[in-house]
Amino acid sequence: MIGASASPLVLQSVGITPFELSLFVFVLITAVLTALFTDVLASIVIFAAYSLGLSIIYTFYHAPDVGLTEAAIGAGITTVFLLLTIAKTSRPTSDDRFDSINWPAVGICTVFVLVVGSTLSAFPAVGDPGSPILTNADVTGYYLQTAYDETGAENAVTAVLAAYRGFDTFGEAIVVFAAGIASLLVLGREVFTT
Amino acid sequence: MSIAETTLVAGYSVGDGLVLAAALFVTLAIAMLYRAIMGPTNQDRVLAVNVLGTNTVVILALLGAALDEPWFLDIALVYALLNFLMSIAISKFTVERGGVI
Repeated sequence: MIGASASPLVLQSVGITPFELSLFVFVLITAVLTALFTDVLASIVIFAAYSLGLSIIYTFYHAPDVGLTEAAIGAGITTVFLLLTIAKTSRPTSDDRFDSINWPAVGICTVFVLVVGSTLSAFPAVGDPGSPILTNADVTGYYLQTAYDETGAENAVTAVLAAYRGFDTFGEAIVVFAAGIASLLVLGREVFTT
Repeated sequence: MSIAETTLVAGYSVGDGLVLAAALFVTLAIAMLYRAIMGPTNQDRVLAVNVLGTNTVVILALLGAALDEPWFLDIALVYALLNFLMSIAISKFTVERGGVI
């Protein structure tokens, strides 16, 4: 059995508390508003609020690294990048506060959500001893036992995200670099500045 | 036994009370969305989201105390700093159009 040295996980029941419910409502409202606003600057501002709610959810579910990343990327960097983008493009001006809703697109999205949601029942319950992550102890056990010695990170999830996954990030960096070069080739420019 | 597990009244601990307070703060956040939606100007929206950010810091601090997880405060601190960055960026964008950084 893996994690024999670690203390047993304290598992909470899966029921939704009033706190989570109000948080879900908040995130849902902000997400829909982000899509609906006509003015892109208003969308960016609301998107920052959406990111705030999402970060609380991640933190509440004991994923501190994801919460921190969402805080840094979602609220901080993304806002600045989006602002830089609309500074260099023209904004459509309209008196309407909200865009009209594209109902066929809503229908397609609903069907997609239903298709993805139909797989939810295949997930093992939280803490189910028969779940693959506990029965295939070779892989998870290796990381749980050696993550601290190899990376120095106390949290195994952080170790995987920040250290082991570094190779993956390295590959992603190459892809982004290639995409940038390709954009310059298409645009016929030699530098990124205008 | 931490202070969050101390029984307050009728089987409810201090931690339960703190989670309830956090839930009320989230409800307040939903109410704050009114200003963010109605505007009428984008400055109002920035202000609304700024208040929401401060609200988030309070919620995370309450949760950290309720669930006895001190590292929640780290995330609250990061949020307090980044919320400031966002407000500055949007304000600067509004004043001198295009000058974000």
